[in-house]
Formats: sequence, C-alpha cells, structure tokens
Amino acid sequence: MSSTETEYRDLKSAATSHRGDRVFNRTVTLAAFTALAVLAGIAVFLGLQTIPAFESQGLSFLTTTAWDINTDPPTAGIWGMLYGSILLAVVGLVIAVPASLLLSIFMVFLAPKRVATALTNLIDLMAAIPSVILGLWAFYILNPSAEEWQRLLNQYLGWIPIFQNTSGNFLGTPFIAGFVLAIMMIPIITSVSREVLARTPPDLINASEALGSSMWTMLRYVALPYGRGGIVGGVMLGLGRALGETIAVFFVLKIVFEVNWYQIIESGGGSVATLIVSRFGEVSGEFELSLLLAAGFFLFVMTLIVNVIANLIVARTGRLQK
Amino acid sequence: MTITFDAESLPALQEQRIQHPWRKKTPVFTWSVVLATLIPLVIVGALFIWGDIPGALLMTVVYLPLQLIASGFAAFATRGKRGILDSVIIVNAIGATIFSLVILISVIGSLIVRGFSALSAHFIYQNNVYVSPSTPLEYGGIGHAILGTLLIVGISALIAVPIGIATAIYITEVRGRAVPYVRFFVQAMSGVPSVVAGLFVLTIIVATGAFEQGAFAGGLAYAILMLPTVARTAEEVLKLVPDDLRTGALALGSTRARTVFRVVLPAARTGIITAIILGVARVIGETAPLLLASGYADSTIVNPFGGPIAAVPTYIFNNVALPYPDAVARAWASALVLIVLVGILFVIARVVGRGRLSSK
Amino acid sequence: MATAEFGSLDEVGEVELMDSEVSAPVRKETEMSARDVSVWFGKRKVLEGVNIDFPKQTVTALIGPSGCGKSTFIRTLNRLHELIPGAALAGSVLYEGKDIYDRDIDPVHIRLKIGMVFQKPNPFPSMTIRGNVLSGLKLSGMKRSDHDDIVEQTLTSAGLWTEVKDRLGAAAGELSGGQAQRLVIARALAVQPHVLLMDEPCSALDPASTLKIEETIRELSKDVTIIIVTHNMQQAVRVSDYTAFFLAAENEPGHVVEQGATTEIFGNPQDQRTLDYVNGRFG
Ligand SMILES: Nc1ncnc2c1ncn2[C@@H]1O[C@H](COP(=O)(O)OP(=O)(O)OP(=O)(O)O)[C@@H](O)[C@H]1O
Ligand SMILES: [Mg+2]
Repeated sequence: MSSTETEYRDLKSAATSHRGDRVFNRTVTLAAFTALAVLAGIAVFLGLQTIPAFESQGLSFLTTTAWDINTDPPTAGIWGMLYGSILLAVVGLVIAVPASLLLSIFMVFLAPKRVATALTNLIDLMAAIPSVILGLWAFYILNPSAEEWQRLLNQYLGWIPIFQNTSGNFLGTPFIAGFVLAIMMIPIITSVSREVLARTPPDLINASEALGSSMWTMLRYVALPYGRGGIVGGVMLGLGRALGETIAVFFVLKIVFEVNWYQIIESGGGSVATLIVSRFGEVSGEFELSLLLAAGFFLFVMTLIVNVIANLIVARTGRLQK
Repeated sequence: MTITFDAESLPALQEQRIQHPWRKKTPVFTWSVVLATLIPLVIVGALFIWGDIPGALLMTVVYLPLQLIASGFAAFATRGKRGILDSVIIVNAIGATIFSLVILISVIGSLIVRGFSALSAHFIYQNNVYVSPSTPLEYGGIGHAILGTLLIVGISALIAVPIGIATAIYITEVRGRAVPYVRFFVQAMSGVPSVVAGLFVLTIIVATGAFEQGAFAGGLAYAILMLPTVARTAEEVLKLVPDDLRTGALALGSTRARTVFRVVLPAARTGIITAIILGVARVIGETAPLLLASGYADSTIVNPFGGPIAAVPTYIFNNVALPYPDAVARAWASALVLIVLVGILFVIARVVGRGRLSSK
Repeated sequence: MATAEFGSLDEVGEVELMDSEVSAPVRKETEMSARDVSVWFGKRKVLEGVNIDFPKQTVTALIGPSGCGKSTFIRTLNRLHELIPGAALAGSVLYEGKDIYDRDIDPVHIRLKIGMVFQKPNPFPSMTIRGNVLSGLKLSGMKRSDHDDIVEQTLTSAGLWTEVKDRLGAAAGELSGGQAQRLVIARALAVQPHVLLMDEPCSALDPASTLKIEETIRELSKDVTIIIVTHNMQQAVRVSDYTAFFLAAENEPGHVVEQGATTEIFGNPQDQRTLDYVNGRFG
C-alpha cells in the first residue's frame, strides 16, 4: 500500500476525474474569483486615474482643500472632502450607535415576542429605503424642522464650539447630513447587535439573574461584554455604509471647498462620495473627470479598510461564540 | 422513619387555581407607575395645547427628561437605588424605538401623502418627452424610467445571478482550497460604495470605448452591487440543503455537476429565488451608479446599448430640487412607485423565505 | 417518632428531626419550606402540592426520574421560575417565616439570600476568575470593600483556592469543567446566601471533580442550607441529610412520593415506588 497521502490524492482526483465535472469545477471556480477580479479591477482602473491627479497636484491633492479647475495651473485637493466624510460619519455614529443599541436592547430584552418580530420587520424595511428617497424626504420634510432645532441649539448652546454658527444659515449642515446617515446606519447596526444580543447564552442570563442582577447590571456586565465584538463589527459595517453614501447626503449638505473642522450646525461641509456626483454633472473635461476618479479611488480605499476590519471582527466573534 | 404523601394522608387539598403571584403589585408600585406615566404626559400635553413649542422639540427637550425623572422616582420608590438605572435604560430604549418608528412613519407617510397627488394611470406608462419642469401633471409620466429600471435591473441580474450562485456553489459544493479567500473577497465587495461601482464602469468605458453610457453600463454597475448579496444569501441557503441528499445522489453514480444541478439547486429553489429577490431589492433604488454609468433621458429607450437611459431613481434625482411644484410632485410620486416596488420585493422575499423555513 | 410533627403540614418553625450522623433527635430550625406548591407551564400542570421543609444548615437531596419537575421546583425556591414566559404557580414558599411570593417582597433580595448553582458550569466568559467571584457584588450593586478577603474565603470554601490563587487574573474560560463549577459555587457564595440551590451540579463532571464538589458541599453545609438535585443515588447518600423523592406518572403532574432522613429513604423506604427507584429499578 502506498502512503496515506498518495491514497488521499488518488481519491481526490478520482472524484473529479469525470470530464463534465472538470469543466464544471473550473467554471465555478472561475466565477468564484469574480469578486476578487472586480476588486482588483477597481483598484487598478481607479488607481491608474490617480496618476494625472498626482502629476499635476502632487501630494497636495490629498492634503489641501481646493477645486479650481479652470485656473492656470488648476488647483485641486480633496482633504476637506475626506475629512468631511469622516465628520459626517462621526455625527451619524454619535446618533446611530446609542439609538441602535437601545433599540436592540428593547427588541431582545424588553419587548413581547410579537412586538419584537414586528419591529424586526420594520427595521428591515427601514434598511430597504433607497437613499434617493431618504434624500427627498430629508430635503422637504427633515430640513425645515432640522433648521429650527439647529437654530435653537445655536441660541442656547452656541457657546459650545461645535454649536457655533456665524453665517446664520442652518441648511446644508454636517449635522443634518450626519442625521440622515444615522437613519441609514440604524437598521444596519440594529440588526447586527440585535442578533448578537439575542445569542447571549440563557445560561449566563440565568446566572446573572440568580445573582440578583438588575436589567442594567445584566447588560453592563454580561450581555454587552459578551456581544461586544459583534456590536463593534456592526458599527463598522454601518460606518462603511456612511462613508460611501452619496445621494442622500447630496440633497442635504452644501459642499464647500474649505475644511469645516467641527462646526456641525454651520452651513457647508465635505463628502468625497457626494463631491463626485455633484461635480460629475458639470464636469469640465477629461482632467477634472480623472480628478473625480482619483477621489473615488481614495473613497474606495477608505471604505475597503473599514469594511475589511468590520468583517474580520464579525467573523472572529462569530467563531468565538460557536 | 419517613413520611409518605399519599392522596389519602394529605389534608384535603382543595383544587388550586393557576396563579401568578409575581404579577400582584403593591399599591406603591401601581401608583408610582400611574403617576410616572401621567404627570409628564399631562405637563407636555398642556404645553402642547397652550404653549407654542414645536412638537419635536417638546418631545426631546421637555418630555424625555421629564419622563426620565418621573420614571427614576417611580423606580426608586419601588425598587430602591438599583431601579433608577433600569428605568433610565427602559425609558431610553422605548424612546429610541419610538424615534426610529417616527422616522420610518414620517418617510413612508410623506411618500404616500405627497406621492398620491401626482399619481395617475398615465403617470405610470407615459414618458417624459415634451414635458418640461413646469408642465402640469396631466401630461407625462415615468413609463420610460420604469422600463429603464427594469432593463437595467434585468441586465444586472443576468450577470450577477449566475456568477453569484456559482460563487455560492464553489463555497458549499466544490469546497475548494480558496473558500476562505473567496468569502473574504465577496464580503469586501459588498462594502464597495455604489458611487465607486459607477466610477469603475465609467473608467472601463473611458479606457476601452467598447460601449457608452446606457442600460448595459448601468446594468454592469448594478451587477457589482448585486453580486455579493446574491452570493452570500445563496451560500446561506445552499448550506441548509442536507448533506444526505448530496451523498445520496453521488452514491447513485451521479457526477458532481449533475448532483448540483439536479439535486442541490432544486432542493434550494425557493431559497435561491429569495437570494435573487434580495439582490434585486438591494440595487433597485440605487442612484449614484446610474448617474455615472447610464446617464439620463426623457424618451423611452429599449436598446441596452442605445445611449443614455432614464431609471426611476435618476428620474427622482433630476426632479427633487427643481423650483416647480409639479416637478417636485412627480419626484414624490415616482418615489412612491419605487418604494412600492421595493416593498413588493420585500414581501415576496419574506413569503418565499417563510415557505423555505416551514418546509424544512 | 417525628412523624406526627412532620405530618402536620401547617406547622411552621421548629420540627424534630433525625440527625443522620448522631442518630439522636436534635432540634433544627426550618430555614425554608414549600407549602402546597403547584406549578404550571402555560395550562400544563407539572408539579402538584409539594410540601417540604428544609432545616437550617443541612443538605436536602431531591431525587426522581427525569422530567418529574425537580428543576422546576428548585427554581420556584428563588423566584427564577417566574422569568419563564407562561410560568404560573400556586401555594407558597416560606423563607424566614415569610412567603417569598408576597407582593411586597423584592425578588432580587430573595435571589441574593437563596443562591443557585446550575447544571452546566456557567462562569461569565468575559470576566477573569477574580471578576467572576466578585460578579455577584457588581450585578446586585452590593457595596463591600474587602474584595481580596471575599475572593480568598469563597474560593477556599469552594475548594478551588489552591488551584487558582496564582492566576486570579486569568480568563475564566481557561478552567476545566470541574474547576469552573467550583468557581461558580464560589461566585454564588460571595454574596453570602443563606441557602444554596444546586441543580445537578456534578452531572457534567468527571468522578474526581464530583468528589471534590461533594466535599465542598459537606463543608459548606456547616454554614448554609443546601438543596441539591441529583440523579446519582450514591451522591445523594454521600452528601445529604434529607431526601425527597419526586415522581410524575405519565401526563400527570409530579409530586413528592416520600421524604425524610436520607438513611431512611435509602435504607427503609415506606413506598414501593421509592424502593424501586433507589434500587435503580426504574426511572
Ligand atoms: N420552560 C418550560 N416550558 C414548558 N415546559 C417546561 C419547561 N421547563 C420544563 N418543562 C416541563 O416541566 C416538566 C418538568 O421539567 P423539569 O425540568 O423540572 O424536570 P426535571 O425533574 O428537572 O428533569 P431532569 O432530571 O431531566 O432535569 C417536564 O415535563 C418539562 O417538559
Ligand atoms: Mg432538571
């Protein structure tokens, strides 16, 4: 008898020795690598487009904030947009994370089963609202009342730097855009954290009840630490979505080419994704187009990193909990 | 010596009634709850009627803090210090739930209220040629955009569904060495922002010149977004197919390919349909990729390579911010059409999905 | 002998009982008792008219075939039962002379006085060994400053101190099943309960760990009242002073067939079914 290793190899080749199966295997394998091909394609094609941008602007394409294409020489820098995307996402997270956590706590630990099921469906429905519809809603329904809130915020809390507003214009602010992003993130974060919390072993909940826990201490010391990894992963997934969101932000954020560092209720901010769409309509020529494609490349890189981290975290906690 | 309890030796037990002793509440408890619910409501109700503070503000700045304080007191009165944090959590959790529901209702409600006024039969089938933003609502419609959406989604499904299912088959059936990597790439792909998908297709157009903006390009961009959803959902459902079926078929001398096509896929049929529907639902409202890849048109176009074409999302996008009430009304009406489409897909996926679960 | 007093069920307080070792009647105060406890899940009655007294600082074993309601019963004793949707209950459970189901009783207070150890070792995986021992204090919001003492004392009582004293900061997940179960016992002891409920605490453990825990139980019974569910007849004999035998006929609610000193139940049972069960003839 030969060694077990060769025997194993024989078996394996026997399983795929049939000609039809070989074709089938190859086709399916090829298809399976489409995802990789697309990712690589995006990286290469968009990556190539950064060459003209860097050739004309150097590193200042990433570190400055300007968009004067028709001057000679043209100046362009997307720092304000990259930073703006992050600022919007942070505003969105500040609203969405507590809301989603509380919502999932309600669904898992407080609501009667029927209510929880109904809520699950509604949250899924919320996730399915197209961003253009959210943008339409935000433009006509949210804007007027948000304007009002922000005015009051500024009136009473204006001494806090983030609530400064010197222009008197309360539309097109990072706060409104962040709020809309929060609405998009809530269903994503909620559905992940709901599942994670629901998987808290009954054993542990029993044990903590038997030790005289209250709702709060049970959450604080048992359920939340247990689900922490998954929840963080869910938040990262939501963050990835927020960074890439284009259309909903387009309707509620005034894109300005200066950095709005922290004045979230001041009109004007930045977002890479929205920059692309808003400039694309009136793009002045091949050069500006390649600048937009280069901006898209950095957006791609940013979201890819966030998503990969998110998925690694979710996958790791998924394994731990098995 | 032991004691045995036989029916006779027991002191006559009268038949006991089902009880839930823990549901009995002390008067302190009942009153605390009643007061903690009523007082904030009454105060806020009075302010709402007689004061003039906007409703949303009243709820966030007056009602929520008031309710927190009232519940805190009630909790303290009934359960001591331990109760306070619990009441904070509970009030906030209910608050967050109501907040999310209010937003959902506001979105759906405004679509229905504002969308209905512009909705009519001809709005569904006419196109937008000869219609300017100021044209009254008696003329024109989104027939061309609905057709465009169907065409683009159809093309993307033709591309993404076979590849997505094949990817799932690779993961669950072929089980090659690269499975973890394939999974990883599919997940990474699902994070690609939709605007980047549009840009990518645009670069292909620019670089190759093989085709131009239009339904096919839009379908390519949509396919990039659809593929990961289809692949991941299909993987889930294929995993539900019991291994016995596979070994059974193989033992009968079936080839691997035939096993997959004749046994595994049919067994997972409804699940595969769900995967396709979820994939379609994922893309159908996407706007940014179409702005870049398929452009916009007012006329009805059926040729995938026939140049720029409208779709429902891009139609909405083009009408939202126009300074004409009728154009805006068209935007609302088409948003209503779009959400109904999404809703239908959503319900079908649920119903089909439920069938899958109950048949197992 | 004690039959008369024991048999009159309405009598609460002191009863005369046999001490298993000295075999001379001694007076032991009753720590807690069940009075006519019947239990339902939804409309289904699973326990009927259970009456048991648990004398202070003794070990009572609850035995009986699977599904006869032992776990259900033990969970009614510290108000964990009510957390199951659809749970219902009639009768009363007296602790310190008061019904723990009275409406002005705080269940958290009861659960702290009447601790519980579950069948499967369930230390909190996200906490260290030390953190687990102290978790009861955190969870119930009890304030105590002598944390180091508590950790050492309770781990010693649970028979785990020597094995873990050098790695109190390690994750609880590193412990073996038997160690984890003793950690859980230490955790339950840290809130200083007067009664400890144990639902098949050794069923997931190897014989050596089982013996360790039995030692621990004997040791603990000097201070706390222990009520233990077990399927292991030898274990019941080894650790318990008193035994109650539960039985449920098919589709009937479970009830106590016979109870008394462990030596009597195993040595001289009065009921044929008890005799059959303790000799392994059914169940
Ligand atoms: N959560 C529940 N919902 C409905 N019925 C239940 C529930 N828990 C237990 N039961 C039923 O109550 C009866 C008693 O169950 P219990 O777990 O108390 O038995 P047990 O004596 O502990 O058995 P074992 O020795 O196997 O642990 C069983 O018939 C069981 O089916
Ligand atoms: Mg049991």
